[in-house]
Amino acid sequence: MLELTLQALFSGLLAGGYYATVAVGLALVFGTMRVINLAHGELVLLAAYVAYAAETNYGVNPVMAIPVALVIVGTASAIVYALLSRIHQDREINSLILTFGLGIILTNAILSIWAADIHSTSDPWFQDSMVIADTLFAMNAEVAAFVGGLVLMAGVWWWLNHSWQGRAVRALSSNRAAATLMGVNPRKIEILSFLIAALLATFAGFAIYTGKTVFPALGHVLTVKAFIITVLAGMGSIPGVLIGAIMIGVIESLTVTYLSASLQELAGMILFLVVLFVSPSGLFGGGRALAR
Amino acid sequence: MTRTIANLVTVSALALSVALGAGAAQAKEFLLGSELPLTGSLARVGQGMHEGIAVAIDMANKSYAGKHSFKVQTIDDETSPAKGVAAVEKLAGDGVVAITGGYGSNIIGPASEAAQKAGLVYITSGGVSPELTQRGYPTFFRINNTDGYALAMIGLIQEMGAKKVSIVYLNKDATSSLAKQVNTALTAKGVTVGMHEFDGSTSDFKPLMNKVKLQDRPDVIAMVGYENDYVGILRASKVLKPQVKAMVGVWSLATAQMAKEFPDLMENVYGTSMLPYPVEFTQPEAVEFAATYKKLFNKDPDYLGQFGYVQTRLLIDAVVRADEAGTLGKGGLPDELRKTDANTLIGRVTFDKNGDNLNFTHRMGQHQGGKVVLVWPQDAANGKMNFPAVPW
Repeated sequence: MLELTLQALFSGLLAGGYYATVAVGLALVFGTMRVINLAHGELVLLAAYVAYAAETNYGVNPVMAIPVALVIVGTASAIVYALLSRIHQDREINSLILTFGLGIILTNAILSIWAADIHSTSDPWFQDSMVIADTLFAMNAEVAAFVGGLVLMAGVWWWLNHSWQGRAVRALSSNRAAATLMGVNPRKIEILSFLIAALLATFAGFAIYTGKTVFPALGHVLTVKAFIITVLAGMGSIPGVLIGAIMIGVIESLTVTYLSASLQELAGMILFLVVLFVSPSGLFGGGRALAR
Repeated sequence: MTRTIANLVTVSALALSVALGAGAAQAKEFLLGSELPLTGSLARVGQGMHEGIAVAIDMANKSYAGKHSFKVQTIDDETSPAKGVAAVEKLAGDGVVAITGGYGSNIIGPASEAAQKAGLVYITSGGVSPELTQRGYPTFFRINNTDGYALAMIGLIQEMGAKKVSIVYLNKDATSSLAKQVNTALTAKGVTVGMHEFDGSTSDFKPLMNKVKLQDRPDVIAMVGYENDYVGILRASKVLKPQVKAMVGVWSLATAQMAKEFPDLMENVYGTSMLPYPVEFTQPEAVEFAATYKKLFNKDPDYLGQFGYVQTRLLIDAVVRADEAGTLGKGGLPDELRKTDANTLIGRVTFDKNGDNLNFTHRMGQHQGGKVVLVWPQDAANGKMNFPAVPW
């Protein structure tokens, strides 16, 4: 029983790492622009497919495809921003509709280019097992994604707290008018946030391609999961995203182990509702959540 | 003399053009409808069936050339039951003579109900849930069913002599029905069975497979799901290395696509398969099917294409028979389909009063060195099974 519990906790922790890397880009954009980018999951998927294309067509290790994927996803992200910035009325609701539509376009573009088959890396290193103390099992890809995700999130957190641009993002998130009066250029900061989100989406796409499987309909699933975690964390909170994602991962994993695998999604949603019931602003929500 | 020859040529030309004109006037074009998931989570299987339907149309246009021609109008249901119903209603409005297609029992259920209301035949191979035929709709037909898949899986597991089996299955209609049927049959034969249901959103199977490894300790793990699920289960198993003798699945597993995409995971894994890979066809129709498939899609046919082809070809032949009998526009198509008794690429097909093909039995293939070898039943086998053997 102890072995089962330990593995469940370990698997939940790693799953939480995946969820967090997908969700943190969404949280960053929301923190800056108060916009929920419903095409975020599709951007993650686009990065995964670029890694797939590079590996299949050119025999390139998926790690080497990251710079190319970053350029493509960054460009796509900048286009999303350019379209979003043209919305001047009812920004919250209209941006939801716009990004939802962009997500559908991206999904269908991926479907047209790469067909509907499922794919994953063929590099065996990523699937090789890592065993800790003869009790905890994981794939190399999962551990690499977790560690890499932590490093990236720590970097974003440091950037938000210790760089001028990071402080500008927080200022914009806190009070857009006051930040503008203090010399912050909102457009520059917003597009910077989108590009950082693109970087995070690229890493998340690479992590999913190496550790899971990708298929065109996955983008929407990723967006929904990222949205739930962002709300659970408290809209715009980066540390909250990590903690919320790990909580969801662990509760799902424990549910699989002690109840049923078919109830894991339900368990995650119950946790989500309980947290919102107790703390309607989420775990780390509030007026200025971005750096907390 | 010259004038006589000129007259003869003119008269002959006129006679020929009248004859050709009369022939063209007799040739009828039939429009079939197809409702399929070409996007969404079932896009992969929907597109596979779509390819088979296209091959059937191409081959029928050749074999009925000069007499009849066939077209298909396809609508994407986006893997949504509501859009499946809307697609069928649109096809009915556009005047199709019948519908071929459908994937996923949860989509086929309401879509075929809409076809029934519109008085249209709906023929499929994409939904094996028993409830579909238990409704008793006179316009519903399918060429495969849960029983055929279950018999193959049970037969293979019995041949392996397994005493303990863990069934890991997706919680959808078709997969649950199949898993429960296998459970009942194996339990009745004295096999200890552990049942483990999972949700379609599951991407990390390690906690589940760890439970199977530490608590069930089975001889065989039976997987009932789709491609994505199999990859997750096999990856988790490869990491955890449970002491099993075989990994057995059903549809979408023993395929060329899986051998190509996941060679490290597939070795020694079993799945249902009508054909070995590389494909070996001997019957003339099968050879023509494979050649047409290759010509249209530049690849070898898979089981989805094969099923899509068979259901559509049976439908086309019934449409022609009904037309020749003058009953096509008078609701005679279901009766003609019910008279079907054909040896097809998937074996003999006849339909009972509920539209089910009770002759359907599947075969089991095993991935061996990048190939799919048929290993069960013995009369269809083209190789021996590697047993005990697992991918790790």
